[in-house]
Amino acid sequence: MNLYSLYMKFFVMNAHAAEMSLWDRMKPPLDISTNGHLIDSLFHLTTMLILFFFILVCLGLFGFSYLYRQSKHPVALYVHGTSKKHIAIVAAIGAMVFIMVDMKITGISNRDYMESFAKWPKEDKDVVRVQVLGQQWAWNFRYAGKDGIFNTEDDIVTLNDLRLPTGKKIVFQVTSKDVIHSFSLPNARIKVDAMPGRISKMWTELTTTGLYDIVCAQICGTFHYRMQAKLRVYTPEEFDKWQDQMGERTKYIMEKDSADLYWGWKWVTNN
Amino acid sequence: MAFFEQEIHDAPKTFLSKYVFSFDHKVIGKQFLWYGIAFLGLGGMMAMMIRWTLAFPGEAFPIFGHFLFPATNGVVPPDTYAMLFTLHGTIMIFYAITPILIGAFGNFCIPLMIGARDMVFPTLNMLSFWLAVLSAVILVASLFTPLGGAAGGWVSYPTLSTLIGSPGVGQTLWCLAIFVLGVSSTMGAVNYIATIITLRAPGMGYFDMPLTVWGLWLTAVLNALFLPVLGAGVLLLVFDRVFGTTFFLAGAAATSGSGDPVLFQHVFWIFGHPEVYILILPAWGIVSDLLAFFARKPAFGAKATALSMTTITVLSTVVYGHHMYTTQMSPLLTQSFMMLTMTISIPSAIFFANWLGTLWKGSIRFQTPMLFALGVVFVFGLGGLTGLYLATVSTDLYLHDTYFVVGHFHYTMAASVLLGGFAATYFWFPKMFGRMLNETLGKVHFWISMLGLNGVFMGMMIVGYAGMHRRIYNPYVYEFLQKLIPINMFITYSAIFMGFGQLFFVYNFVYSIWKGPKASQNPWEVGTLEWTIPSPAPHYNFDVIPVVKCGPHEMGNPNLKGRDFQYQTEELA
Amino acid sequence: MAQAMANLATKTMSESDQGKEIVFSVAMIVVLVSFAMLFATLMMGFAMFRFTAPVWPPAGMVKPSLILPGISTLFIILSSIAFIWFEKDTANKKGLILTISLGVGFMLTQSLFWHQLKSNGIFVSSGIFPSIIYAFTWIHAAHIIVALGLLLWLLFSPTLSTTTKSKLRATSVGKFWHFLGIVWLIMFLTIFVL
Repeated sequence: MNLYSLYMKFFVMNAHAAEMSLWDRMKPPLDISTNGHLIDSLFHLTTMLILFFFILVCLGLFGFSYLYRQSKHPVALYVHGTSKKHIAIVAAIGAMVFIMVDMKITGISNRDYMESFAKWPKEDKDVVRVQVLGQQWAWNFRYAGKDGIFNTEDDIVTLNDLRLPTGKKIVFQVTSKDVIHSFSLPNARIKVDAMPGRISKMWTELTTTGLYDIVCAQICGTFHYRMQAKLRVYTPEEFDKWQDQMGERTKYIMEKDSADLYWGWKWVTNN
Repeated sequence: MAFFEQEIHDAPKTFLSKYVFSFDHKVIGKQFLWYGIAFLGLGGMMAMMIRWTLAFPGEAFPIFGHFLFPATNGVVPPDTYAMLFTLHGTIMIFYAITPILIGAFGNFCIPLMIGARDMVFPTLNMLSFWLAVLSAVILVASLFTPLGGAAGGWVSYPTLSTLIGSPGVGQTLWCLAIFVLGVSSTMGAVNYIATIITLRAPGMGYFDMPLTVWGLWLTAVLNALFLPVLGAGVLLLVFDRVFGTTFFLAGAAATSGSGDPVLFQHVFWIFGHPEVYILILPAWGIVSDLLAFFARKPAFGAKATALSMTTITVLSTVVYGHHMYTTQMSPLLTQSFMMLTMTISIPSAIFFANWLGTLWKGSIRFQTPMLFALGVVFVFGLGGLTGLYLATVSTDLYLHDTYFVVGHFHYTMAASVLLGGFAATYFWFPKMFGRMLNETLGKVHFWISMLGLNGVFMGMMIVGYAGMHRRIYNPYVYEFLQKLIPINMFITYSAIFMGFGQLFFVYNFVYSIWKGPKASQNPWEVGTLEWTIPSPAPHYNFDVIPVVKCGPHEMGNPNLKGRDFQYQTEELA
Repeated sequence: MAQAMANLATKTMSESDQGKEIVFSVAMIVVLVSFAMLFATLMMGFAMFRFTAPVWPPAGMVKPSLILPGISTLFIILSSIAFIWFEKDTANKKGLILTISLGVGFMLTQSLFWHQLKSNGIFVSSGIFPSIIYAFTWIHAAHIIVALGLLLWLLFSPTLSTTTKSKLRATSVGKFWHFLGIVWLIMFLTIFVL
């Protein structure tokens, strides 16, 4: 019996809980996007680099504490650390951190950001466009529908229910009705703030079908924790079928006079 | 150097003038210490309630639960939960850490360590403390207003903090409390800066000042520069709430709105990022000094450490954008903020190297203050390095607003600063109260705190990486977070363990003030100016203003006879 | 080092006064920088709204007439000049009285200005442009009131012009007064004129 299962047995009081390993519990949620691995791999690279430096710090901290404790090493060396050699060593450590860690991860992050996360896809037919409106405490989603224009009668409007296809680029335009929210897809590793009076955007491309969680990441009031939506990822065929079905239903739901339903805005194109 | 000599006034005689409305920097420092410790307890209790809710959702909070939340049978309700984390943040930052490190040790140490008889403006100093008390009264009063205290997070982003999101008067009082506290801290900062520039003992150049004073001085500079920025921000927020201006209102819910909520974020973080360094700089200074004092050798590269701290102070003013990556600033701004943030690691690496250099070939005494100082090196190493994930924009897209952020800033702002504060308390307690703290209790306190806080904050980073976002009342409404229940329970157990550990400190502190063994003039055998006068420090500190002839950490000099340290008032051996 | 000690011991009165002068000017620099940061933040907010707005002032708004703010500006410039005159000869309190009256004149013009805005139908809550005008002038006026209080305190302090300390007080209050004048000038030029 290891410490982990002992802890599970006596503190969590659920011996079965130990069946899921600690490692699995620590893992981030399943990556379902084409770009998510960029973030995961940068995270791991950063972890390796900082572990290296943290081990150096610990070696110094614990090693020197052990070697030069008073009982063992009664007379301290009288140095001020101002000799050229000492200054060079310290400067070298500073430069090493900058070159080995900072330049490396900044370079990678910059590349990922400019070439993936902030590189907006060309909006042609294959791109799925979704307008997202956050409110206390729900997510409204709007698809342009058949005519491809937002805020018209054939728009598909859902509440807390986002359905997307795999294999297509998806562009979100996000805003909020009342307070600041943050539209977060943990499974795609991305989020963007939903701010009243501004339209922010985000794009992703999904790879795996299934049912996932959508989260509001920014504190937005008492029931912030309940501001949960579901993401259903379909294959492209299933998605088209769903869209057709919803298009049919929309004819009955959308009424011309109900102004509340026309919360969408004119799509801001990137092209 | 000293531009003029302060007169020696008679010691105050009445209780009021001696202990309450005192002009004496030492008494004001102690007042700030009590104030900070009281709020540390309050903020700690709030943290316990937060942790309890996260680990055992739906279960009554033990002991106090039924008394505090009778309507829900002792369970913390969600609106109270929002209030708790808001006030936990506010209290810990502005009412616990700031008073302890800057208010208490700033006041106590600066004049003593630079050889002055008092702060240069004693009245301003007293005013600063009593304004802080006024601010605390306003903040605590806000809890008893009809809709409760502020609940918009310690950052209080509009529009959640405007009338749209929090209609109660509690948020307005929160803003006022912060404004008053800002005025108080700015007064303190003016005093510190002027005192250090004009009242250093003759012979004491800037690089002869102990690094503690360096840290406090840089902190004061940042305070004087950036608290007014926050002041302007909360003032406009109050106007939005009370007079109906529309600075931060926008969108459908703002009836006449054309303002911009993101403006507040800019203003807040222009202040907020330097605030991080406002809190940590004194701790860095204290640690740099203590490592040298207890390794019995001069601080390694003291000048470089001081200059690195100055560099960081300067850099801290231009990196604030890394808190706002998800608000989608222009890519150019995002890239520049990322680059600038990264450069902070160079000076940080330099003083880390200097800290380890100080330990190298020392003759280390593991007394309690030293243990805490070594603890700071460990936890700040972790905290500083994990900042890299959040400074790079792509990993921040995933980690922003998760518990990873919470873990990271608790390592830097809570763990390091708190351990630094404890180190300072154990170190200067003899000079403050004339008695010694118990070493054994101190060491027990250290190990419990150290293990506990690593359990808590490492756990937080783990659940954060697993996707748990911040400020949620019950994470387990999300399926992908349900696997985190055992880890969250572990964090809570660690927090309770750490909380109980603080009882050792409280007992030790209170007992030793009256019953501790009498302290000698220089119990730690170090040479800075405060140890040249009796313990506790007499009224008006120095009968004769000392003349400084050497640096603050001249120890282990082979030319010294009979002892391994020399006072700053002695010619270098 | 020993020289320094000797210097300190034999410091004459005037040297100590000089020291106090330095202390006060250092402190005043820090104080004014702090206040400047407060106003700079406000101006940063203004700049952000000004430069991101497609039209300025925002649709449906007109700039208020420059007459009353212009008179305010004139008042505050003259009052600073009056204070400089007073500083040359602190025994003569005429300059101080003139400064205070001009300051009161500034406050009166400002309240007339607010009144005029209201009667023209521009209220605090009618959008971002009135918000800026009202809030910034209020914050500035609050500082002016504090400064007027300090000037009155100078006027009624009996030891004026006799001790160095009160002379230092006078120059420090003066610096604050000039500072507020400069802040008003910047606000006048950026918000009202441009």
